[in-house]
Amino acid sequence: MADYQLIIIGGCLSGLAAGIRAARFGQNILILEQHSLPGGLNSWYFRHGHLLETGLHAMTNFAPVGDKRAPLNRLFRQLKLSRKRFVTREQFGSEIIFPDHRLRFSNDLSLLVQEIAREFPASGQGFLRLVKEMETYDPFAPAPWRSAREYLSERLADPLLENMLLLPLMVYGNAEEQDMDLGQFAIMFRALFLEGFFRPEETIREFLGLLIDQFREFGGEIRFKTEVAEIVHDQSRVQGLRLQGGEFLTADRVLSTVGLPGTAALTDWPLEQKRYTGRMSFVETISLLPESRRHDLSRDRTILFYSHSNSWQYQRPEELIDPSWGVICFPENFQGIKAKKTFQLRVTNAANYDQWRQLDSGAYKKEKERCFKESTEMVAKIVGNYAQDVVYQDSFTPLTIERFTGKGAGAVYGSPIKIKDGRTPWENLFIAGTDQGYLGIVGAMLSGVTIVNQHLLG
Amino acid sequence: MTRDEIKDLILEIIEDIDEDAEFDGLDADAPLRDQLDLDSMDFLDIVMELRKRYKLQIPEEEYPELATLTSCVNYLEPKLKDA
Repeated sequence: MADYQLIIIGGCLSGLAAGIRAARFGQNILILEQHSLPGGLNSWYFRHGHLLETGLHAMTNFAPVGDKRAPLNRLFRQLKLSRKRFVTREQFGSEIIFPDHRLRFSNDLSLLVQEIAREFPASGQGFLRLVKEMETYDPFAPAPWRSAREYLSERLADPLLENMLLLPLMVYGNAEEQDMDLGQFAIMFRALFLEGFFRPEETIREFLGLLIDQFREFGGEIRFKTEVAEIVHDQSRVQGLRLQGGEFLTADRVLSTVGLPGTAALTDWPLEQKRYTGRMSFVETISLLPESRRHDLSRDRTILFYSHSNSWQYQRPEELIDPSWGVICFPENFQGIKAKKTFQLRVTNAANYDQWRQLDSGAYKKEKERCFKESTEMVAKIVGNYAQDVVYQDSFTPLTIERFTGKGAGAVYGSPIKIKDGRTPWENLFIAGTDQGYLGIVGAMLSGVTIVNQHLLG
Repeated sequence: MTRDEIKDLILEIIEDIDEDAEFDGLDADAPLRDQLDLDSMDFLDIVMELRKRYKLQIPEEEYPELATLTSCVNYLEPKLKDA
């Protein structure tokens, strides 16, 4: 008998969700996490006496208690967690800002409909039609890649509006450059515009704590600071995992959440690394500012998606970063979040992994500071000056992401090519998470749940 | 198990799966899925719970037997007669 019925590589959101599901109906389930904290891309750290979240700006897919078909509530049922006891804090409202037009949106779709009717009257009807189609579109039915840009152009016939709608949907989940598969577009459109943004009442730490407690409650075992060195296999089956340090664990089945390139590196899977490694990565800067400035800087918006150019392109920049477009998030601007002495302003800009990679450690530090300055100047054009008021500031680059999450080239949204059925060349090795095709936090968790339901409960 | 006990078991499992489940006015001969707004993932949970508790293996092609409360009881009665 194997040591474990199932070993999951990665204590991230998809790994924990998969673990809960498997442990609920099975025995001897082990999760291996290389770091001392869970969460993967969505984790936390302490600096300057503050708990800072990595990744999480907001959760998408908001749904009220009782809406049984909504992904968020289905997820809670599948994990046997009480949705009633999970307190959600909805966004104030967000805005897409381009040089000549602004579109506000909230968790009530009618706001975006009105804004589009005002700013782009000729596309108003087309947008309503698009909403109707997205409400019933099945993004998980097997279908060949289809261009979201062409789809949008047929319905809206306005390249500027198309760009404005695509910016938030792409920056929050698209692994491809320039265009997006229609299925992925549909997932993101629903997650952001039809369902909307919210936060858990507390931080990602408490949310991850809830998941780990549930996993342990069902008898699951989790080991931190445990790195996998190799997935040991023959032609058709995986036998187990060799850990850094030499220990060998046998498993009936293995589920990997470390992405396709990461999984390939642990086996000898002849994946063409280049095709499966995403090119989109980001630099994120967190600034702590005095609470007194929150209102005038944020104007009570939760997230701002900005571009200083109408001909915005979603692509890896040539330079270290591209501050001409990005995301500005105010994580305190959710209903019912208590004010503290300081508030956060988080800025995300597209970045070039290879450029960061080439810097030596001295240059890396200097460039990080220069990029922060450049980004702050561009953001100030939108929200006003704040550099002089920063109490504390920290930023992470594609290299930080790669180091802490194992995501190759810091590609937060994983491979541009997804493996929707989660299968690998080995009959008892499966993948879940971003590279399986679901997006966002709720999506990553549903990915873990779905792969367990399909392949790992029998 | 008697027919009534099996009925209670199914309702208890559903209640356990869905904290919002409302059984008032439930029609035992109409599909559970529509009445309780459950999806295929929830049905999988009913199957898995039966397996966990009674070591019952229900093959996928027999899932339709669980469509209504009455059909559940009919289908499970011989399987749970000694339980």
